[in-house]
Amino acid sequence: MALSTFGAIMGFSAEMVQQTEAFYETMFQKAKDPILREALEVLLEEEGKNYSLMERTRRENVTEMILEPIAGLDQGDYEIEMRGMDQTKDADLLKMALILEERERRFFSEVSDKVPLPEVGRIFRKVAQKKERSLARLKTLGLNQF
Amino acid sequence: MVGRIKNYINGEWMDSEIREFGDVWCPATGEKIAEVPLSTAADMDKAAQAAKEAYWDWRCTPPLTRARYFFKLKDLFENAFEDIARTLVTEEGKTIDESRGEVRRMIENVEHATGVTTMMTGYNLEDIAQGIDCTAERQSIGVFGVIAPFNFPAMVPWWFLPYAVVSGNTYIVKPSEQVPMTQTRIFEAIDECGFPEGVINMVHGARDAVNGMLYHPDIKGVSFVGQSATARYVYKACGETGKRVQALGGAKNFVLVMPDAELDRHMPSLITSFYGCAGERCLSGSVLVAVGDVYKELKEKFVAAAKALKVGNGLQEGIQMGPVVSKKHKEKVLGYIEKGIKEGAKLILDGRNIRVDGYPNGFFIGPTVFDEVHPDMSIAKEEIFGPVVALIHVKNLDEGLKLIENSEYGNAACLYTTNGKTAREFKYRAVASMMGINLGIAAPMSFFPFGGAKGSFFGDIKGHGREVFQFFTDTKVVIQRWT
Repeated sequence: MALSTFGAIMGFSAEMVQQTEAFYETMFQKAKDPILREALEVLLEEEGKNYSLMERTRRENVTEMILEPIAGLDQGDYEIEMRGMDQTKDADLLKMALILEERERRFFSEVSDKVPLPEVGRIFRKVAQKKERSLARLKTLGLNQF
Repeated sequence: MVGRIKNYINGEWMDSEIREFGDVWCPATGEKIAEVPLSTAADMDKAAQAAKEAYWDWRCTPPLTRARYFFKLKDLFENAFEDIARTLVTEEGKTIDESRGEVRRMIENVEHATGVTTMMTGYNLEDIAQGIDCTAERQSIGVFGVIAPFNFPAMVPWWFLPYAVVSGNTYIVKPSEQVPMTQTRIFEAIDECGFPEGVINMVHGARDAVNGMLYHPDIKGVSFVGQSATARYVYKACGETGKRVQALGGAKNFVLVMPDAELDRHMPSLITSFYGCAGERCLSGSVLVAVGDVYKELKEKFVAAAKALKVGNGLQEGIQMGPVVSKKHKEKVLGYIEKGIKEGAKLILDGRNIRVDGYPNGFFIGPTVFDEVHPDMSIAKEEIFGPVVALIHVKNLDEGLKLIENSEYGNAACLYTTNGKTAREFKYRAVASMMGINLGIAAPMSFFPFGGAKGSFFGDIKGHGREVFQFFTDTKVVIQRWT
């Protein structure tokens, strides 16, 4: 589905963040390693904040410019298989977290240039930067460690 | 069976004096969704009496205390934000993004009005003569009312209501009978907020309710937004009855595109200008004026972008243009398209037979463009209030400005250019009150005044902005000598 309006972008953003948050919650229950659990807890908390940020942005960052048609974005480009949920091994859970973080980093970074509102672009860029930092943090854990 | 809407008078939901109802339609599905009471002058009188009764206590309530009700109301509106927006789409037809934008604008007026303790202050001077001091104090006046249009059912009453009420007046809202559900949802929040009884009231209806307000001796002032003919009528009636009045009328807005304009960059904004809210807004672009040799490229790019718009049920995210408000209004707009053809304009994009999957009975009209339009044609002069664009080709800026000057309306005008001198010339000379440079909807936010010129506005003080406090208050001058 094309993300051709501000509302469609914000709706998808909120949905994606909420979906990730739900996965982190489940993954947190499954993870055994205390370091991984701590990392997942941080991500879970961050996603909760991101969801509130998306909702607030949709409701409050409203000017005439949000009504301008948007081209070149499709939600299909950011959909991923969520098979990692079946996993119980810590290494697989970490792999899944890396995929989820990378998806959001890519989405928020690519969309930030296309939304017609500079302030919303800035919010998206900041979320993308946070995701970059999360990715770096997760990578330091190392898949072979578990 | 659909629900019947009630009036809200003296803090209570109540039925109209008579049992005559109008139908409320969902423009996307073409289904009847509610019935609205066509209240009478007697209903309006009941509201006016309640508002008059509530006035003195409210007027004596400190401004900051009055503002606190609005702080609370803002929170209630934020909580109900999505619900109000969706109700609005259901009965008016605009897209959910447009609707959210409208609700946001409504809330911004509440926010701006809470600055009453600064905005309502008067001024003073000691020793205007030796030992004599003078103060100018702003005082509320009494009962005010608004007669609202169909196209912005949430926002428009709130261009006036919060300022009137926070200044110490009491108030009556008469929503459009075509879209009464949105304001009813808003009044549920007002009811929850706990304003003293009678401070804010709502009477639904049509002509009888309007005349009941215009000719009521206890109503001190009226704000109106709608067609120019009605605005003129309201202005005259208020003149006759000695009321304060601000009557905002219709529009025929010209959007000029200069040869140096960045077409690709600004095309989304141009498209929004003409087709946003299906053209049912007084700030919509209506006449697209191609200046000089931009004509061919502008025409091609504009038509291509218009064709690409997704038309459908506004409740679906991703839809870029919804239906028009009613079957009757659709017929009116289609009538203008027929007229354009008869008068010799060239129909280069025809939105008459658009089909929207799943909504065979909706009041949809697709994006429509006429080329080779002459300024004397009806489609170039009259307010269509639909997704119909008249493209006119002029040689230079002077010719474009002449078109604006000759229009009976003067609401808004926009210009696209990369030249600062051209932009200055345009804003300096164009006779319209809301100007856009490199944007297509020149919509003032709550802290600036909203209103047009010429046949687009009847009155002195416009909607919201700083000045609106003057409309809702009298300046009492007190001269004192104690020596």
